Amino acid sequence: MSGGSGALNTGYLGGGDGLGGWLGTRDHKRIAVMFLVWSLGVFLLGLIYALIMKLRAQSGIIDTHTYHQMLTQHGVLMVFLFVVPAIPSILGHFVLPLQLGARNMALPGFSAWSFRFYALGTLLFLVSLFAGPTATGWTFLTPFSLGGTGAFMVMAVGLCLSALGWLTTGVNIVVTVHTRREAGMGFFAMPLFSWGVYLAGYLLAVVGSLFAIIIIYLGLSRAFAGGIFGPGSDPLLWQNYFWFVTTPAAYFALLPAVGVISDIVAGIARRGGFVGYRLTVGSMIALLALSFTTWGLRMLGTGLGDGNAVVFAALNLATVVPVAIIVYCWLATLHRGAVLCVAPTTFVAAFVLQAGIGAMMGLVLASLSVGRYLANTLFVTAQSHYLMMGGVMTALLAGLHWWWPKLTGRMFRQGLGRFGAALYMVGLNMAFIPQMMQGVGGVARGTFSLPPALAGSESVSFIGVWVMITGLVLVASNLFGSLFDGQAAGANPWGAGSLEWQAASPPPQGNFTEAPAAGENPYAA
Amino acid sequence: MDVGSLTGRVPLSAMLPGAVPTATMGSGTWLPQAAASGAPAVDKPFLGLYMAGALIVVLVTGLVLTWVLTFRRGDAGARGEPVGRPNPALLGAWVLAALGLAVWAFASGFGGFLDRSVAPYGAYDIAVNAKQWQWSFTYPNGWTADTLHVPTGRPVRLTLNSEDVIHGLSIPALRVSQAVLPGQPAQAWFEASDSGTFDLGSDIYSGDGYSTMRSALVAQSPTEFDAWLTRVSDIFEGRTMEQVGELLYNRKGCVACHSLDGSKRVGPSFKDVYGFEFDTREGVRITADDAYIKQSILDPNVSVIAGYEPVMTPFAGQITDREIEAITAWLKTLSSRGGTAAAAADSTVGADAGQKKETE
Repeated sequence: MSGGSGALNTGYLGGGDGLGGWLGTRDHKRIAVMFLVWSLGVFLLGLIYALIMKLRAQSGIIDTHTYHQMLTQHGVLMVFLFVVPAIPSILGHFVLPLQLGARNMALPGFSAWSFRFYALGTLLFLVSLFAGPTATGWTFLTPFSLGGTGAFMVMAVGLCLSALGWLTTGVNIVVTVHTRREAGMGFFAMPLFSWGVYLAGYLLAVVGSLFAIIIIYLGLSRAFAGGIFGPGSDPLLWQNYFWFVTTPAAYFALLPAVGVISDIVAGIARRGGFVGYRLTVGSMIALLALSFTTWGLRMLGTGLGDGNAVVFAALNLATVVPVAIIVYCWLATLHRGAVLCVAPTTFVAAFVLQAGIGAMMGLVLASLSVGRYLANTLFVTAQSHYLMMGGVMTALLAGLHWWWPKLTGRMFRQGLGRFGAALYMVGLNMAFIPQMMQGVGGVARGTFSLPPALAGSESVSFIGVWVMITGLVLVASNLFGSLFDGQAAGANPWGAGSLEWQAASPPPQGNFTEAPAAGENPYAA
Repeated sequence: MDVGSLTGRVPLSAMLPGAVPTATMGSGTWLPQAAASGAPAVDKPFLGLYMAGALIVVLVTGLVLTWVLTFRRGDAGARGEPVGRPNPALLGAWVLAALGLAVWAFASGFGGFLDRSVAPYGAYDIAVNAKQWQWSFTYPNGWTADTLHVPTGRPVRLTLNSEDVIHGLSIPALRVSQAVLPGQPAQAWFEASDSGTFDLGSDIYSGDGYSTMRSALVAQSPTEFDAWLTRVSDIFEGRTMEQVGELLYNRKGCVACHSLDGSKRVGPSFKDVYGFEFDTREGVRITADDAYIKQSILDPNVSVIAGYEPVMTPFAGQITDREIEAITAWLKTLSSRGGTAAAAADSTVGADAGQKKETE
């Protein structure tokens, strides 16, 4: 894919206002970049934890207590501080106003504060690591999480601040969609990524406020040995609150991911539209509704009553229908297109494979007799990683590649991008298929010392992690290397039809020099 | 009395002479060897869904790759066929197939799940206690061990409780995984089909020792199981008859209704019972001698002391003559008339029916 010609403009990236200009900015694009950089740091820290934990069996460099501390920190980092907020915060902030034809988010102050809350929350989390890391597990099951050592309250306040970041991001997104759409753009003229982020905005607002409250409640219950989650309380109470809040959190990571993939499918198919657009929107709305009704099944292995399990299993399985419709529409859009074989295309294929495996594993878990057997095994750990790393992370990478020319004004190398994506996909499957199979064998989650019989499969998994990291390094070097030697991208390097491609790459302050023209079809070139 | 001797707790090595299991939770990368009659209710749906899921993933990913490779165009200005509406027949069939898959997933696991919910009548009961980071198993005769022995071919019902935090009982070979919550007893049941020693551990994180919270399940033929239980729970070994009596008082649950300090509970206190005379509810004067105590244990509601209700569970078939002798011997130590019943028979009877009558 060749980029455009002509002199590079620096757009929002320039301006010569230095670090102060960035930290004080209210521009959605700069805030998105800051989210990207900060999230990358969080991801790297979580990855380092994962690597050290993977070494446990072979090296003996960490003891049981340290292992469980690291397992807790890995879960908190990756789930609450990376996967959940990544796409809405990074791509949502950057792309949404551009796709709506807006000059900025509706509440620029909220944009700035959402990043500050996130950064402060992360910093407090890091402080808690020095003050005394906790080993409660990232799901904080009571009454166990009420005891033990560690600066739990510091971490809880950090997570509360991060959740306030979700809340402000969510409110901002919803208000932006309602008030900043380009004149003439109806709801059903929004690209599917905007729909995904918009729906996730509601979840971010509701879940962010609830999570901020319950994590502080838990911290207080622990500190003062009382309260609704305190000693003597029903151990299922915390689980109900926690999963009611965090199960939708998984959806608000996945809904924008579906939006990213849908936009890329529409873009690479080059058919001037998306087959089944309204059906896809309806399916995403259905997933939003179902996201608040499926939490119970996460408790199948930790005390959920049999009657409730039947209801929650049925509701979980109901998600199959909207997911099937969305996948059908992707396939139908690609069929008879003039498909661009570029790096984002490879990420789309990787997403379909990996999120597909995660979804099928979810189907297995919702079959109750099987689900009860597997509920507390590494099978569930592998499934989470397929959905989060294989789904959300892959969609984030796909989106970063798709919108990188817009973000930076530079084109990256397509061949290297495709190779990095393929390596990432191979490594991820090498890493997590063995884990899935260990779970089928009955190995429990969080097991410190694996039996010798699993040494072979664990070695494959370990090599897989390194292959995955190699893929990620190639991807990162390709993207960031393009800042130095990439061709100028031009406004619309993919020939895509949504409004963001009418802006210059990178867009200037205010995004558009002329008011963009929106039609009824969000993907009409 | 030493508490350890009351609970009968013995180390794992003593439970399994010469056959200490190297219990490790899950040791393979596929379903473990099934050793329970209920395993097919897990294995069949799993295998079916696993194969179907793999096929679907291959199909969908294959279609994406096929479409991409078939319809790829390198030139920048290329445009594909303009989009239309989804083919209603194809989409309908696709969604129906997905719905069918969901219904199949639900139905295939539903029956087996319900079967596991309620244990069959007559199941062999074992109480399971969990605490950081130890399992203990108490058998109907009161014997407590840290290894779970079960007879094959007979339903076994586990009643599980936790002393501290949430634990998870996991026996992969039996396809059993059951959360154990503090203050909320749970039940699980299974029927071991094969003899052998199988992994047993915890699958819910409960602290640093979580990975070492392991034991073993030993499934034995009913004959071997009975022999094992008889051997390890020979409560007379190393104890006096009086000590055995006190042990049985605790294990058989007598403690719930009979005090040792003279206070009235559901049943009369055991203090100063032996050798004394009482009026029954029917107004018959009896002496609490060996014969009466034996009758009161085996068929207690035939001759109930006045002032008490005939509510005691008969122990006929649940206690041996020797154990009754041990209880009787212990009751004598609690009585100021702990001599012979004949001596008691010489005593003078008081006036108030239903009250214990001490002789002059």
